Amino acid sequence: MKNLLSAFTALVAIGMIVGAAEAADLVLYTSQPNEDAQATVDGFKAANPGLDVQWVRDGTPQIMAKLNAEIQAGNPAADVLLIADTVTLERMKQAGQLMAYKSPEAANYDKALYDADGFYYSTKLITTGIIYNTQAAMKPTSWADLAKPEAKGLVTMPSPLASGAALIHAQTLSGIPSLGWDYYKNLKANGAIAAGGNGAILKSVASGEKAYGFVVDYLPIREKAKGAPVEFVFPKEGVSAVTEPAAILASTKHADNAKKFIDYVLSQKGQEGFLKLGYIPARNGMAVPAGFPARETIKVLPINAPDALKNSEKDVKGFADIFGIKG
Amino acid sequence: MTRPQKQGNSQPRWLFPFVVTVIFCLSVLPLGRLAATGIMSAFRGGASELLSDPGLWCSVYDTLSTSFFGMIAAVVLGGGFALLLTLFDIRGKALLGFLFMLPTMIPPQVTALAWIGMTGPSSALLKALGLAPPLGSPQPLYSIGGIALLYGVQNAALVYLSLRAGLLALPRDAVEAARLSGASSFQVLKDVILPLSLPGFAAGAAIAFVSCVGNFGIPAILGIPAGIYTLPTLIYSKFAAFGPRTFADISVLSGLIAILSVIGLMVEARVLRGRDYRVIGLSGQVAVFRLGAWRWLAELLLWLTIFLILAMPLIALVASSLAPAYGVRLSPATVTIKAYEEILLRQAATRIAFTNSLSLSLATAFGLLVVTVLTGYFLVRSKSRLVGLISALAEIPYALPGIVLAVAFILLFAAPIPVIGISIYGTIWIILIAYFSSFFAVSLKPVVSAFRQLDPSLEEAARLSGAGFARRLVDILVPLVAPAAGASVILVFLIACNELTVSALLWSAGTQTLGVLIYNLDDSGSFNIAAALSVLVVIMVIAMMVVLELMAKRLPKGVVPWRS
Repeated sequence: MKNLLSAFTALVAIGMIVGAAEAADLVLYTSQPNEDAQATVDGFKAANPGLDVQWVRDGTPQIMAKLNAEIQAGNPAADVLLIADTVTLERMKQAGQLMAYKSPEAANYDKALYDADGFYYSTKLITTGIIYNTQAAMKPTSWADLAKPEAKGLVTMPSPLASGAALIHAQTLSGIPSLGWDYYKNLKANGAIAAGGNGAILKSVASGEKAYGFVVDYLPIREKAKGAPVEFVFPKEGVSAVTEPAAILASTKHADNAKKFIDYVLSQKGQEGFLKLGYIPARNGMAVPAGFPARETIKVLPINAPDALKNSEKDVKGFADIFGIKG
Repeated sequence: MTRPQKQGNSQPRWLFPFVVTVIFCLSVLPLGRLAATGIMSAFRGGASELLSDPGLWCSVYDTLSTSFFGMIAAVVLGGGFALLLTLFDIRGKALLGFLFMLPTMIPPQVTALAWIGMTGPSSALLKALGLAPPLGSPQPLYSIGGIALLYGVQNAALVYLSLRAGLLALPRDAVEAARLSGASSFQVLKDVILPLSLPGFAAGAAIAFVSCVGNFGIPAILGIPAGIYTLPTLIYSKFAAFGPRTFADISVLSGLIAILSVIGLMVEARVLRGRDYRVIGLSGQVAVFRLGAWRWLAELLLWLTIFLILAMPLIALVASSLAPAYGVRLSPATVTIKAYEEILLRQAATRIAFTNSLSLSLATAFGLLVVTVLTGYFLVRSKSRLVGLISALAEIPYALPGIVLAVAFILLFAAPIPVIGISIYGTIWIILIAYFSSFFAVSLKPVVSAFRQLDPSLEEAARLSGAGFARRLVDILVPLVAPAAGASVILVFLIACNELTVSALLWSAGTQTLGVLIYNLDDSGSFNIAAALSVLVVIMVIAMMVVLELMAKRLPKGVVPWRS
């Protein structure tokens, strides 16, 4: 009986631990890498002591899948989202899944960077450019370089199925007359592959499995500082950009804490935190991280947001068809 | 159960309904729900669109080819080890056998990460040695062959165990008779031992095949970057692109995996028909052949294999965890323990994942024990005709790939539970229930084998003296099966702790498990943190295996899987 008793005691104790783990004051779903997500949460907790924050990290499409499945099951766990792109949040806004909140911090932001009704706020500027391994024979300076014979079989890029930034990137480049979807077809013909998220691209190029890749700026710039043999290029045609917006879910059970979170990521302190992690802050009058050129010299390619929203499903499918991706 | 309780049947009335309820909840209900959704989707025509997608058949082909070659690799590796270690006078058998079991106990995604660290241009190990292949050379493991090779390494122990059990069960008299009639060692091996051990080979191969079909960690890490999707990773990516048809699609896909697994298991059942390992008189005493001058060569080969499939990948894993950034050459000047600091001190996710994995595994191990002690007692003592059916139903969830079970539980609990209206989807409880279902058979097996060894007369004496069921349970049954129960707890704990496939689909905020965390860290580009966490997990696995090994002498036969 002793054994059974101790087993039951263990069960009860575990039940209590597990129960406690579920009672967080705020749940964040984010597409930031683990270290950055932890740093963001740590910063928020320092600014708001006593709050217990839980976070979940995954690629933007995966996070949205998880959330959609939870919404369908009637039990969404997330209170706030901090994910790659506004297009996804615009869709959620139209579906009535977001809560409006007018943050006082918005006054310090360009009007283009947040939703006028307060449904979502951009927190930083993340551009997608070219990463190359320093041992590579060619130093690419333009997107077109990667379709050249020198790069045959050496190019890799993230899949829009795994990365929100990658979808926006494909939609941006395909809208540039000199590139278009033909550019992607040429890349495919040149042996380029598309798989996984930005982390996988960094890994593949840094390790030398591939020589060139499309990737979000902060990963290679940070890794280069740690000694990785990579360089990041802002191609001469320009770069695509996402703004990693934050939003509150309409179903939130912790609306007050969620508002505090929005205020924090937009505040001077929160933005300095992003700067320290190696991101370009969205707030007016902030510096750029070490390793970046001055903000005004970065040429951001335009994207038509309403079209991007309308076409995202078609564009994902088009991309997947060119590169033979399943999912 | 038809006889009234007074006449000899010593079980309490509630035992039968209890066992039936448990089996219904853990096996019949989820799998029934899965089958219902699959069939409904097929009737509504939803399946035809899915089934006419060439991508799906490409996945089926990739699943079959990787699993087939994986099975071959497992048979070569596991068969070679089993024959050499069981039949020949190799020194250090116990240690070799133990080390050979390790890759099976290490989580597949950790195996995959370790091997990636060992080969290709990305290897921190090869870079440190100055042997890294040139820029642009492909990672050779990102291929059908690479996936199959790792399947082989991961599952070789299954073939080893199955074949070894067969070899140990060989009738010694046949060997001796052949010897006395003047047969040489080689003839005995060729004409007596190998033909008799064929069923063991075939059964091991079938189990390895089924295990390959259901593997998720290896094709997720090696296949997805190369555009190779097996059915489990296809389900995962379908789920990751959640749409209105996702539930219907993934139920059809898991049905396909289930069919492949069932075919494999039927092959196994067929080759094992009529063989009963339980009644063996002279087991464990197979004649040992002398290798003579060949011995050192065979030993060298065995240790070299262990070095290649175990030591090298683990050294590579440690090397990856100590590198400051990807692609940096590891040298005394660049070694850093930053990854360990990050994972142990800074990441809240680590604490959450350790807490979740440990508490889920403990709860599963102890919770299941309570259920399996009662079920095991019922299965051994009951004369009900349903015993066969019930033990088969208890086995099914374990035999099915984890991803199939995960899908079944998602379907069962996606909507709030009727009547009480609580939703457990997205909470830790859905993972716990899925674990209960998945590991029920693991927990049951040692307990049943302990009950089989119990002499019923002890209990009968107690009953004649007027002891009720509870009294007998506490004073006689539980103490006598306690060692097996202990082993059962450790086994379930070990397996549940390293689990990825079930939780990969079921995790949510605050319910990450270690397996999910390692996968996710690697996915976000934090490869060295993923490697550091993997190293910690491997250390934990080895520690628990050593504890089981130390317990082994006090346990019934067959409880510690790698001992025989």
